[in-house]
Amino acid sequence: MKIAMMTEGTYPYSFGGVSVWCDQLIRGLTGYDFSLVAIVATGAERMVWPLPGNVVAVDRVPLWSTAPAGPTVSRRNGLPVGLLRELIDSLLDSSAEAQPRFTGVLRELFEFAQRGNLSAALGSDKAVRLLSEAWMERPPPAHWRTAPTLHDAVSAMQLLDHALRPLSCPPPQADLAHAVTNGLAVLPALAAKWRYGTPVIVTEHGVYLREQYLQNRKSPYRWPVKAIYLSFMRRLCALGYSEAGAITPGNVYNRRWEERLGAKPGRIRTVYNGVDPADFPALSGEPDAPTISWVGRIDPIKDVETLVRAFALVRQEMPAARLRLFGSPPKGRESYLERCQALTADLGITGAVTFEGRVENIADAYAAGQIVALSSVSEGFPYSLIEAMTCGRTCVATDVGGVTEAVGDTGLVVPPRNPKLMARACLTLLQDDDLRHRLGTAARTRALQNFTVDGAISAFDEVYSLVSAARPGRPGWTERAIEDPSDDLLPWKAAK
Amino acid sequence: MIARTLAARERTRVPPGANEDQRLRAVPAEDDKPRDLAELCEQFVLVCESAVDPLEISSALEFDGLNDQAARELYGFSDVFALAEEMYWRVPRQPAEPEPVADPWRISKLRSAMHGLIYGLPAVCFPAASGLLNGPGALRALVVALLSSWALSQGLAYLGYARLGRSDPVQAARVMLPGMTAGTGATALVMALTALTGHVHLPVLAFGFGLGTYMLGATVLMVLGAERLLLIVLAPAVLGSAAFLALGRPHYLEYATWGALAATPALALGLATWRARRKSGFFGRRRGATAKKREAAGPLITAADLRGALPSVGFGLVVAGLLVFPVAAALPGRPDTGALIASLPLALSMGVAEWTLVWFRRRTQRLLRATREVPVFAHRARLTLFTALLHYLTAAALLTATAAAVMITAHLIHPHWTLAPQIAAYLALGGAMFVALLLQAFGSRIFPLITCAAALAFEVLWRRLGVLGQLAACTELLVTLTAYAAHVLGKAVRHAP
Repeated sequence: MKIAMMTEGTYPYSFGGVSVWCDQLIRGLTGYDFSLVAIVATGAERMVWPLPGNVVAVDRVPLWSTAPAGPTVSRRNGLPVGLLRELIDSLLDSSAEAQPRFTGVLRELFEFAQRGNLSAALGSDKAVRLLSEAWMERPPPAHWRTAPTLHDAVSAMQLLDHALRPLSCPPPQADLAHAVTNGLAVLPALAAKWRYGTPVIVTEHGVYLREQYLQNRKSPYRWPVKAIYLSFMRRLCALGYSEAGAITPGNVYNRRWEERLGAKPGRIRTVYNGVDPADFPALSGEPDAPTISWVGRIDPIKDVETLVRAFALVRQEMPAARLRLFGSPPKGRESYLERCQALTADLGITGAVTFEGRVENIADAYAAGQIVALSSVSEGFPYSLIEAMTCGRTCVATDVGGVTEAVGDTGLVVPPRNPKLMARACLTLLQDDDLRHRLGTAARTRALQNFTVDGAISAFDEVYSLVSAARPGRPGWTERAIEDPSDDLLPWKAAK
Repeated sequence: MIARTLAARERTRVPPGANEDQRLRAVPAEDDKPRDLAELCEQFVLVCESAVDPLEISSALEFDGLNDQAARELYGFSDVFALAEEMYWRVPRQPAEPEPVADPWRISKLRSAMHGLIYGLPAVCFPAASGLLNGPGALRALVVALLSSWALSQGLAYLGYARLGRSDPVQAARVMLPGMTAGTGATALVMALTALTGHVHLPVLAFGFGLGTYMLGATVLMVLGAERLLLIVLAPAVLGSAAFLALGRPHYLEYATWGALAATPALALGLATWRARRKSGFFGRRRGATAKKREAAGPLITAADLRGALPSVGFGLVVAGLLVFPVAAALPGRPDTGALIASLPLALSMGVAEWTLVWFRRRTQRLLRATREVPVFAHRARLTLFTALLHYLTAAALLTATAAAVMITAHLIHPHWTLAPQIAAYLALGGAMFVALLLQAFGSRIFPLITCAAALAFEVLWRRLGVLGQLAACTELLVTLTAYAAHVLGKAVRHAP
């Protein structure tokens, strides 16, 4: 069976959690052939992952390359003026009909892109004129400052042009189209569904749309551009959910957004990330000094500052305590590391906090602490937690994303950005050897039961055969709900 | 479903039978979160005012660590989505304008003037080298060298700028070295072929080869943004030649001057190689790692690159032809003084052209941000184009007048009214080059190439017309290019940021 797997900005062209996951999945599913459709920025990216043997093809879809993708414009294929107008209207429309209109227009855009040059059409002067006229036809917004200009029209059409580039590529031919993120990666999957009836699976580690909102808060574009672009993303994500035969979020927390955007609960199945237990054997000893270990990117989203502040409070009660931070800042954003170091100096705990940088063997980082801490303000389903748990280390973590689902009752979960409670939780575990060891053992048991790579692989094996067997159109398919075994994992299952 | 999940989540806070430690999780957020909705709206006022829909506020709340539990316990809403929706309706839209981005088209007049000097300074080397450039076939060899060096350096510049345009300075630096090596090889080959087709003195061939390598090295340094190094490169040849000419070409200084002339291409090659290697991260990295990365990256120069470079190569060839053909056609006989005084200011004016191009771009960008209607923009953009052209032509005319005045006072040339049409022709050519540059900067590369080639063909075919033919060809070229630019650059979409 052949799977077309769609990625955006990740595998096999960059490192990170999602890429690790893709690599694990493909290597584990030896019975399937994979052809990758990787959405990339410029097309000049270098492959950073050695490809597994069952990857039969890699197609790059650059969004920002200068050469327009697809066949050149021919005179027979004139500008699809009506189609462009309908696209613009469906994005500016805020009524309930907008979503079905968008679905229709996207499919027609795909049909056009397969025979004409969609990029040229969206980048034409006529398209800019249509958008500026559509803006002017609508009642001017109460906030006069945001009156859209031609610069906004040009920028907006440019963004749409690049976002829709994947529609111009030949639709992938496979038994199943698996988009490992919602959003633009869904476009090639939809193309396959429209052309060949290929069933679609959408996986989400973080909620794509939520990330789009956050990214665009600091965008250089004015409000009208941001509004139309996010409207496009919202409609596309909603379409991705509604067209998918199965949605496989990386944690239950994501379901809230998915269902909010119209995903049918019966099609959602949570599949947790997993680690290979062989890489993280149970740790036998503990370090001599009471130590808190932390593993991750030194980045504001990880809120290392809260951890440092919490540690300062821990030190007041346990002067021998140490905090060891393993990881480095992303390239070009070293300023946050400096800020954390300055904070350590301000709090007078420089000697007790060490910035260790990258480690060769990550299990060593978990071995370095009695407990492992995670202070992030946003997470999907963090690898560092389940790795630490597999090693048999208990964790103190913030209540974000899928953290509570991972930790369960084998560690302590505290609210984000709250040094006081984080310090209390750390102290509880550091001071009570018995509790710590008990939770550590429970953590390893929980991880081995639920968060192994084999578990994730067999879950997808199951989803693949389930979804591909039920080609759309067969009676009974849409009503059939997918069992979500994650329900068993959650404490409220018993209370249901 | 949502309700079920939420109810369930609430229960997770205090699992039944949880021990004291696990109750920690149930402690409400004891942080800076405000206790009532009005205060929360105040805290998130910027987010709410700029939000495009309630979901944007939801994502901001969640990112700040506010979850469904807090939405319920602190503010009495069923979840974050419901809370965000209320906030969206409470706070009216008043979006903040985005932070002004750094102007990517900022270029100082000093830098432009420096570019002008870089284009113009080498001119002083030709009279100083005249002792070298004699014998049969010298002119032919020189013309061939000029044509090939312009063509090759334009092609190389394209390869570099295409990568810079993709925000990939490392790849741009990496493509420069093989590009320069191949270009140097091609120049050597061209000079060798020239020697084979007729008798040419060795110094002439060496000068032509030096010219070619200098142009390639200079291109590398310009692409890599190292204009200051380029001034160092130019120093020996320019200072040597200037001193030689100022002292009245003393015989005893001839060899020293030629040595200085040879130093410049050598320096250009050396510094360009050093700079390209440094920028491509060649130093300080294990060779094995570099080789491995190279393998992963695939071919450095693809067939698409070469296809893309073709119009640039052609344009370089045609422009060099337009510049040197009138000079070459005037010979044999005495050197054409008109061509000399007209072409030097033209080279210097390329600095003005560059600056005016940037001025035009910034002006139209501002226009785009201030205009709401397509026809209004088209009209104003055209006016801006004509203003820019006028600006350039005035500057070029002033430069020409200054150059002529200097040369006349220095008794280098004798003023004569017959020079006027030739100067006018070169001015028109300068204007045409400016518009062609503008069109290329806005992504139109084929039309300038075709029209310039047509103008050159006209000059060659009707060379009997002499200066008048040149004047007609250049004026026609200027008019055609300007009309085309007025059409193309009136479109808002061409000014996409």
